[in-house]
Amino acid sequence: MSKNGYLQIHDPLKPKGQAVGIDLGTTNSLVAAVVKDTPVCVPVDEGDSPLLPSVVHYAQDGGVVVGARAKKLASEHPTDTIASVKRFMGRGPDDAETRKLGHHKFAPGAKVIRFDVAGGTPVTPIEVSGEVLRALKRRAESHFSSKVEQAVITVPAYFDDAQRQATKDAGRLAGLEVLRLLNEPTAAALAYGLDKGSQGTFAVYDLGGGTFDISILKLVDGIFEVKSTSGDSALGGDDFDRAIAQRVLESLGETAPSPALVAEVLAASRKAKEALTDAASVELTAGGKTHTVKREDFDTWIQPFVQKTGTVCRRAMKDAGVAAGEMDGVILVGGATRVPAVRRYVAELFGREPLGDIDPDQVVAMGAAVLANLLTTADRQDDVLLLDVIPLSLGLETMGGIVEKLIQRNSTIPTTAAQVFTTFKDGQTGLDIHVLQGERELVEDNRSLARFTLSGIPPLAAGMARVEVRFQVDADGILSVSAKEQSTGVSQSITVKPSHGLTDEEIEQMLLDSIDHAEDDIQARQVREQRVDAERVLAEADRQLREHGSLLQDGERAAIDAAIAQVQALMKGDDHLKLKEAVHALDEASRPFIERVMNQAITQVVAGHSVEDY
Amino acid sequence: MRTHFDVFGLKRGYDVDVPALEKQYRELSLQLHPDRVAQASARERVQALEGTTALNEAFKTLKDPVRRAFYLLKLHGIDLDREDAGAQKDMPLEFLEEVMDLREALDTAIAKKDLGRARAMADDVEARKKAALAEAAGALRTLEAGEVADGGQELVRKASHALGRVRYFTRFLEQVDAFEEEIQA
Repeated sequence: MSKNGYLQIHDPLKPKGQAVGIDLGTTNSLVAAVVKDTPVCVPVDEGDSPLLPSVVHYAQDGGVVVGARAKKLASEHPTDTIASVKRFMGRGPDDAETRKLGHHKFAPGAKVIRFDVAGGTPVTPIEVSGEVLRALKRRAESHFSSKVEQAVITVPAYFDDAQRQATKDAGRLAGLEVLRLLNEPTAAALAYGLDKGSQGTFAVYDLGGGTFDISILKLVDGIFEVKSTSGDSALGGDDFDRAIAQRVLESLGETAPSPALVAEVLAASRKAKEALTDAASVELTAGGKTHTVKREDFDTWIQPFVQKTGTVCRRAMKDAGVAAGEMDGVILVGGATRVPAVRRYVAELFGREPLGDIDPDQVVAMGAAVLANLLTTADRQDDVLLLDVIPLSLGLETMGGIVEKLIQRNSTIPTTAAQVFTTFKDGQTGLDIHVLQGERELVEDNRSLARFTLSGIPPLAAGMARVEVRFQVDADGILSVSAKEQSTGVSQSITVKPSHGLTDEEIEQMLLDSIDHAEDDIQARQVREQRVDAERVLAEADRQLREHGSLLQDGERAAIDAAIAQVQALMKGDDHLKLKEAVHALDEASRPFIERVMNQAITQVVAGHSVEDY
Repeated sequence: MRTHFDVFGLKRGYDVDVPALEKQYRELSLQLHPDRVAQASARERVQALEGTTALNEAFKTLKDPVRRAFYLLKLHGIDLDREDAGAQKDMPLEFLEEVMDLREALDTAIAKKDLGRARAMADDVEARKKAALAEAAGALRTLEAGEVADGGQELVRKASHALGRVRYFTRFLEQVDAFEEEIQA
């Protein structure tokens, strides 16, 4: 048992095991931890790769496969294999992002996105992300031979409240205590800043598979103060793949391609994009035809996306009150920053060559590991602190469908704000509260986070009852809202549960289900291991009886045979504890006989024979 | 009542040494932030959250001259952020005329997609905003120095009118920014 018993290992200095940092990426996910003062990424997939493709395959028999193996199953089982699930986190079925070119099949109905996959019930993006996190947790546990229960999980800085909440829920589903949701650019800066002991103003340009983030940070004496952040949570390297894929599908004359063909073309396009980093021209085979993609054409196709990042960068610099030329460094993060056209654009925009000496795929996970380590260190002697901001303004709907902003974007978190509303009708006893996130003036142009009604307001003349609505944003950037009628003190408090997320009850149920399953899993593994152990003991007993039967004494054979029969019978069952007892009984019954065998062997060695003779 | 000035142990007043404030903010953050007590008891963590929230609010308000002025006026009983604030209704007539002229000119520029014209207007409004803020600052400085006639009624009204203009100009500049972003996109 001990060699596989890592779940039992208990380090009294780390009661909750190894704290890790997790980069839950659109394309790949990573887990890292600080080992001997240095953040390192854990090998999590085939060939000891630190990158676990964020791909989850649901098999017909209910099994779940995550990572490179799942990725290989994508073209054969396109609708049962979910890739880039991060794009769907906290989104609704009608979001523009949901409707982009893809090979997923959505279950109909419901306000929440559900993927129709093999092996039973449809799954939500939160559950799919939960599988990725669970796989990372398990692989880290076996790597460190230690429990892993606490994690810092990174999110794009530009994630809204719904997307953050969804990510946190996915962590809970995977059995992780989420120490902190950390913004990806801030994580990267942490990895760089601590590494270099830098001071000054930095821009972190983070173009991942499905999201773009820019953050402007000021580093002074170990304090990382985010001045502004901006981004586009529906823009990334996947759009580059789709730009190629669309041209390929056009040239194939496919107007309504099958999910399998889309998956194949997208995979080939991704490979072509990667190859174009070093080659001026590549061949791409898909749909039974070979296509040539030239880098100059590719550069032209992706130009609209690249320029979109520039607009976002200018907004961030304006909010931070710094000019492009004032940066002390520009940090590149995300696989898509390997594209030469992107690098050229960034260098031009900021007027300096960007830094890229830490692997852009690993830097975020490493920064997250640094924070996880800091947050779980009991007596902190360091002076490291992150002061992050909320990416999008938070507000309430007021008369006429206008949004009244309570908390402005780029406010340092944690933060709070309150607004007093008065009733507008005589005898009004309820007040509808509609919470929104975004920068636009009209309600319908912003993300709706939650709606609730404050009831129990005393019936007074219009304008007399006064309701204070208070927003509190915690250090994860997650909002809770409370409302209070000031004359009577009637109050209501809710943690905003976004319209496109899961309810607490749903999460609890999923958590219970997964714990049940986890017990099944452990049980099944223990039975398997005990059976292997029993087989080995039986084979050994059989050999000794055959070869040294002459050494048996009266009655011994019958007792050993009975013990063997008992083991054989229990091997067919599922009770590993009983089986273990039976194996032990067999050991006991045959011990005097085995000792005689050993003694004889030793005697013969002493007599000048080698053991091999027997 | 604990004011934002109290959070930093500062004497209440319009003039604040911002670099010194920034330095103090970083030091206080290191003491108070929830991340510094992540492994402590729930009660300590809640205290850290509340302490840091108050600190962030105070810092945001005091580091920015406009927010600081609005805050001082609020301490004098006039909250321009409240929609039902009576002070808004009592702006002088000349100001309302100024607002209408500006509004009309900006609408014309936006309709013609004339970014140059809008930017020129923004520069002019920026200067007016600066002047209005200086006027408010003057009134607030005198008020804070104390020893004023009529309990400061006249000065409070002066500051309130000046800041009402600042507020309008700020919104105007935001509209120009939004227009500029729209043109660039």
